[in-house]
Amino acid sequence: MTVADRLGQALACFVEAYQARPELVAEQRGWSPVIALAASDTGARAVVSLEDGRVARVGGEARPATLEVRADLDILCDVLMLRRDPNEPYLFGELSVQGAEADFVRLDYIVSRLCPQ
Amino acid sequence: MPAMNAERPGPITLVATGCGTAIACVCALGLGEIERRLGGVWSVAAVGVAALLCAGLARALARLTAVVPSGAGLLAFLSRGLGRRWALLLMLPYVALVLALVAVEARIVGAVSARLFTIPPAVGALAFVVFTWAVARSGVRLGLRAQAVATGALVIGFSVLAVGSVVAAARRPDFVAHLLPATPSFMALLGGVGQALFLFMGFELVTNQVELVRAPGVIASALSRSVRLLAVFYALAALGFSTLAPEAAGAGLAGDRWLTPQLGLGSAGGSPLGAAAIGILCLLASFTSFNGALLTLSRLVYALASQGMLPRRLARMDARRMVPPDALAALLAAVAALTFLLSTRALINAVLAGSAAAAGLVWAAAVAVRERPPFVEPGRPRGRQIAALALASLFLVFGVSALAEGFAAPSAPAHVEVAVAH
Repeated sequence: MTVADRLGQALACFVEAYQARPELVAEQRGWSPVIALAASDTGARAVVSLEDGRVARVGGEARPATLEVRADLDILCDVLMLRRDPNEPYLFGELSVQGAEADFVRLDYIVSRLCPQ
Repeated sequence: MPAMNAERPGPITLVATGCGTAIACVCALGLGEIERRLGGVWSVAAVGVAALLCAGLARALARLTAVVPSGAGLLAFLSRGLGRRWALLLMLPYVALVLALVAVEARIVGAVSARLFTIPPAVGALAFVVFTWAVARSGVRLGLRAQAVATGALVIGFSVLAVGSVVAAARRPDFVAHLLPATPSFMALLGGVGQALFLFMGFELVTNQVELVRAPGVIASALSRSVRLLAVFYALAALGFSTLAPEAAGAGLAGDRWLTPQLGLGSAGGSPLGAAAIGILCLLASFTSFNGALLTLSRLVYALASQGMLPRRLARMDARRMVPPDALAALLAAVAALTFLLSTRALINAVLAGSAAAAGLVWAAAVAVRERPPFVEPGRPRGRQIAALALASLFLVFGVSALAEGFAAPSAPAHVEVAVAH
């Protein structure tokens, strides 16, 4: 499996978990970001676009990313597969984000709702 | 394809952000303390030395931001360079003292509002804390540009009053004596520089904006420009305080008025409008700083709670407003309690001194970390590494000196002693 496949698979896992929570999707109504995930150690990249809170497109960049999340591939995969809370690598400088604060606070909220406590 | 953001702050906004985080009402109190221990050109020299050290720190921070462009800032840098445990240990006193400083700021706001609106200081302080909390709780975050405007107005207003004070003092026969008071002791000088470091505390938080601008070069430039602007501003303010007329300086010692030396500067021109104007500017600057501090600290509390480092209950997020309400409520309770607990001059001086020491410690660590992986470049000259070690040592020495001097018994301000001698 290539690194791009690994990242794509982890993203698919995350999207599935998100879509399985209609109340969480409904809470994000009005939010339409393009989120890019970049593996800083391998160069792999995956993109997901949301329209009005719903996943509209996975892969490809029809428009520029509004939020970019960057970390080593293992960290990204762990976060996307809900095995790890993103706050931990973020606080300690292993995961960084680029974009408006409101967007990444909302993304963090979604992940924290999906992550088993 | 890089992330796009239409609201990226420009260079001027970033410099104003760096200065605005450093300049709070409590800085006037810090300047007052430096004036009390040193006075005149010695105060200006202390500010100058602190600025030189912070310029070195700014260069180190620029490198740290380029390698780890994280909004978590110092905690992220120190974690990557020293490991998580050491980073948390180093940051803990720094964050705790920021909370105490927020409480001192509230007390100052109480004292300012008591002078402006004749209400009890405790009521003014508590009303300010609750109002700012309510704004933060509603999810409203003031934009960087609003903060920049508030900071700009305060800097310009304060500078004009400081220059006015110096010009007015130039006509008095004791002008030179105010500018050149007796040579302070070596320990007082060390402590004064340590206290001057406190004045710059917060400029480094401009690194947190790297997520928004994603251009480490812009952050590097904002860091060094912030230090230069702060140095000029504080040097002017120090001169203004040094040359205050004895009656204005003496009036600042009565009752709670030592908390608001800036109002003494405002009334030095003889017009109550000057004091009122500077008071209102202070309230505005405090509000913008307080709003940002509450929201930033609440997200830190939220993140730490989600890791189990604080009670998990604090990691709840309000889905509509995107703020952590329980973390904000905990901060409100802590700040309100500290506002009442920090009731004496000795305690407040201890907070200022402790903040200078905590900043010195964290900054020394940041400078040292810059010379370690993953931040150090391969083949970096040994001379640079020795210089960094020297800079880190100076931060520690001045921080400890500020602590030692901060716990020394308060005495009359240097310029009041001069006035009495004459």
